[in-house]
Amino acid sequence: MFTKYRFGLVSIFLITLLFNTELAGQSCNYTLTGMVKQSSNQKPKAGLTIVVNPGNFRTTTDSSGSYSITQLCRQTYTVTLYDQNKLLQEREVALSGTYTLNFNLFDENTSLDEVTVNAKRDANQNTIKQTISEKDINQTRGQTLGEVLQRVNGVTVLQTGSTIFKPVIHGLHSQRILILNNGVRQEGQQWGSEHAPEIDPFTADKFVVLKGAGALRYGSDAIGGAVLVEPRALPETPGTNGELNAAYFQNNRMYVLNGMVQQTLKKIPALSWRLQATYKRGGNSQTPNYWLWNTGVKEFNYAATLVYRQKRWTTELFLSAFNTDLGIFTGSHIGNLTDLQTAIQSDKPLQNIDAFSYDIDRPRQEVSHFLLKSKTIYKLNDWYKLNIVLSRQENIRKEYDRAIITNRPELDLNIGTTMLDLSVEQNEGKPSQLLAGVTGTLQENVWSGSRFFIPNFKSTNLSAYAIRKWNTPSWLFETGLRYDYKTLTTFRNQNNQIRSLEQRFNNISASVGATYKINRDLRLLLNAAMAWRAPQVNELFVNGLHHGSASFEIGDSTLKSEKAYNFSAQLKYEPDSSWNIDVSVYYNLIDDFINLVPTLPPTLTLRGAYPTFKYIQTNALLAGTDISVQKIFNQHFTGGIKAAILFARDRVRQDWLLQMPANRFEYDLTYNFSNRRMRNSYVQLKWIQVMRQTRVSAGFTDYLPPPPAYNLLNIEFATTLQIYGKSTTFGLSVLNSLNTQYRDYMNRFRYFNDEVGRSLVLRVKIPL
Amino acid sequence: MKKMLVAALVLSSIVSCKKTATPADENEHESVNKIVFTYTGGSGGPLSFVMEDPDGDGGNPPSRIDTIKLAAGATYTLNVKTINLVNGVEKDITSTISSQASSHELFFIPTGVTLTITKNDKDRNNYPVGLNSTWVVGTAATGSLRFKVMHKPAGIKGPNDSPTVGHSDIDLNIPIKLQ
Repeated sequence: MFTKYRFGLVSIFLITLLFNTELAGQSCNYTLTGMVKQSSNQKPKAGLTIVVNPGNFRTTTDSSGSYSITQLCRQTYTVTLYDQNKLLQEREVALSGTYTLNFNLFDENTSLDEVTVNAKRDANQNTIKQTISEKDINQTRGQTLGEVLQRVNGVTVLQTGSTIFKPVIHGLHSQRILILNNGVRQEGQQWGSEHAPEIDPFTADKFVVLKGAGALRYGSDAIGGAVLVEPRALPETPGTNGELNAAYFQNNRMYVLNGMVQQTLKKIPALSWRLQATYKRGGNSQTPNYWLWNTGVKEFNYAATLVYRQKRWTTELFLSAFNTDLGIFTGSHIGNLTDLQTAIQSDKPLQNIDAFSYDIDRPRQEVSHFLLKSKTIYKLNDWYKLNIVLSRQENIRKEYDRAIITNRPELDLNIGTTMLDLSVEQNEGKPSQLLAGVTGTLQENVWSGSRFFIPNFKSTNLSAYAIRKWNTPSWLFETGLRYDYKTLTTFRNQNNQIRSLEQRFNNISASVGATYKINRDLRLLLNAAMAWRAPQVNELFVNGLHHGSASFEIGDSTLKSEKAYNFSAQLKYEPDSSWNIDVSVYYNLIDDFINLVPTLPPTLTLRGAYPTFKYIQTNALLAGTDISVQKIFNQHFTGGIKAAILFARDRVRQDWLLQMPANRFEYDLTYNFSNRRMRNSYVQLKWIQVMRQTRVSAGFTDYLPPPPAYNLLNIEFATTLQIYGKSTTFGLSVLNSLNTQYRDYMNRFRYFNDEVGRSLVLRVKIPL
Repeated sequence: MKKMLVAALVLSSIVSCKKTATPADENEHESVNKIVFTYTGGSGGPLSFVMEDPDGDGGNPPSRIDTIKLAAGATYTLNVKTINLVNGVEKDITSTISSQASSHELFFIPTGVTLTITKNDKDRNNYPVGLNSTWVVGTAATGSLRFKVMHKPAGIKGPNDSPTVGHSDIDLNIPIKLQ
């Protein structure tokens, strides 16, 4: 039934791609002027850079804070305000005459979330997206990537105990979400619900969440959305600087140290480099009533970047390593169905030692991820450039079960991925831009151990994509088309006979998006996308016990590709600079949705009976809304409300889908203050309200009904002091300040233990 | 452009030199998929009973679960052996339990029959293990025996644990006949 959407989207794309002509012969004699003032005292700000794109027009504000840019055309421009290299504000302006655009600068920490930042070379202007604010990044330093991304409205986490966090966008996670680490698709064992993304958030200072299936450039399988993790750009002016970060988390006595140093050489200003490293060590976490034994973590990450810039080309080499060793709560790692029932029936975990320790014992995970990437940008001529991205990733995952048969891990998975992406891109500066490319991927997975879970495989993926965007004064269009061809060859060695099976998948994805600027304050974004995802090796061939979840999973080798038809709309209303209202709705139809459902009878083994789950296909509908309202009351007070609501239906069974996030609300109130000694200071109260998940499946019974609703109160304080001439930023957070005892439906360990209790967090950031 | 190609070549040589095992080589190591109960001391030779699941967890259910047949009124000594069976080759891995006796305990829970079972072996804390036990058999009857090997993480094992403490490494219902 939805094939018609596909043809519809494809034909719209083709029409727009082929017949869209640039708006030629327009007059380019418009002027953009304005003033930049500090909001708190209305003093003009001089020396700030204004950049207008497309066209890369630049100017600097004078002593009266004024600026003026001439010779602009009748079209929509992005106006960006920078202080040195730091982005302060960004606006979009549809010019149809001389225009005045004034900026009001709020103290650093009061700037609102940048809801749409059109980063250069970003081919996702018409996808609903959100960039995590600098304030939120600072507040989450030392935490995992999943916890950082949870700051985005509509993003939740799928947790495994207190150590493993996976991002969930609009109810979808794992292989339905793409994570781009510095422009490279993160490839590990991302299918596992207890496999967290292997990325150190300290390597990045920009996190963008693209909601929905529009991120065609990076892959068609991102039917839930994509996450872009981007490092800050290396400075182009000669000099050396760095940053030190330290954090202490009182709850699990975790300390985190991070250092970064970067340099652009004086003698060879074309060459810049950066080195960074993070060390993290935490012990057992504490719930309001007991410690959780074996929930420590040890992490060591490092990264290096080298950039060489020439007139026509720029090359970047990036290397990163992520190594984690994390404990899995002893009381969760139950054996069979009987053990599970025993564990659920007790209020306090049975197999627990109620004490603190830094020791990490079995069961545990040891995961390493290495990435080596080279990116070269070559200017073909004034209008086109070629991007060549070559990368290699190695992901080594060792899972140690509770029982020791040998000292080796029970499951040892090693996956290597080589990727080459070639793309041609039209420079900004014309009302329309084209981006087209091809990607080739080779992947090999090898396992060893005593607990078979997924087979060895080799996979190849070839894809071609084209994305075109163009502007008119009030419209911004973007269309994308992508073709993917994938082969998957699996190997299974049984009775010394190697059997291999090759499967092929191919499909077309497309997206169409439009942003309409209704007036200066009101903007409407509409997006329709069609994407597909080939079944992953675990969905096809899994046959084994899932690490610590007392479940036996069985794949189905006849599964077909999932097809998603994603419709979304976003209305943004910014009536004056003090209001920011964002209402997004989405309607995501997924045909042949691959779903893991309980099945009978339980699997009988020598270890007892195990509840059994099978992968089946159904048709799903995920629809919902993300609403965010922010208000700056005055120079001191700001407040906000966020709501995220999701309905996830199984359209075949006429039932709710399992394991979907409950309604979530957030309320925050911030008091900002600054004086001569304490700059950019604030105190923030944040109240998080998570409702009980009432939309639960009637057909499949859970071992334990969803836990009740809960409320958390977090308190954040931060200030910047001058210490020995350095602007040192201090942060103090009290997470779960009321020490609320609760369990979350999206935590796979909700059967066994409460969530962690109050935690004091101290942070220091020192620029060098 | 030339430099760029050189850089790409250097990079590709770096990334290709790390060669791990190929996907066609699968390396599965041992797990318990066969258990042998050997009773000595009764009339006649030693009695052996086998429980096995040659294809491991999943796939086919356990292919062989013998009925334990013991003489009513007799006294036996039981030795439990755990074995890894791959392609017909057996490897005795009982020592992985005995060498970590302080974190394991075996349980025998009879239903419908009368058995007095005493565990003879102790771990380093002098807590019972159960790889070796003495069985005093009651009157003739038919019932079942639940056999469990419980794995207990460091510090959890005690002298008189119930069979629910820890996680089940093995959990089997074995038919039993006293005659």
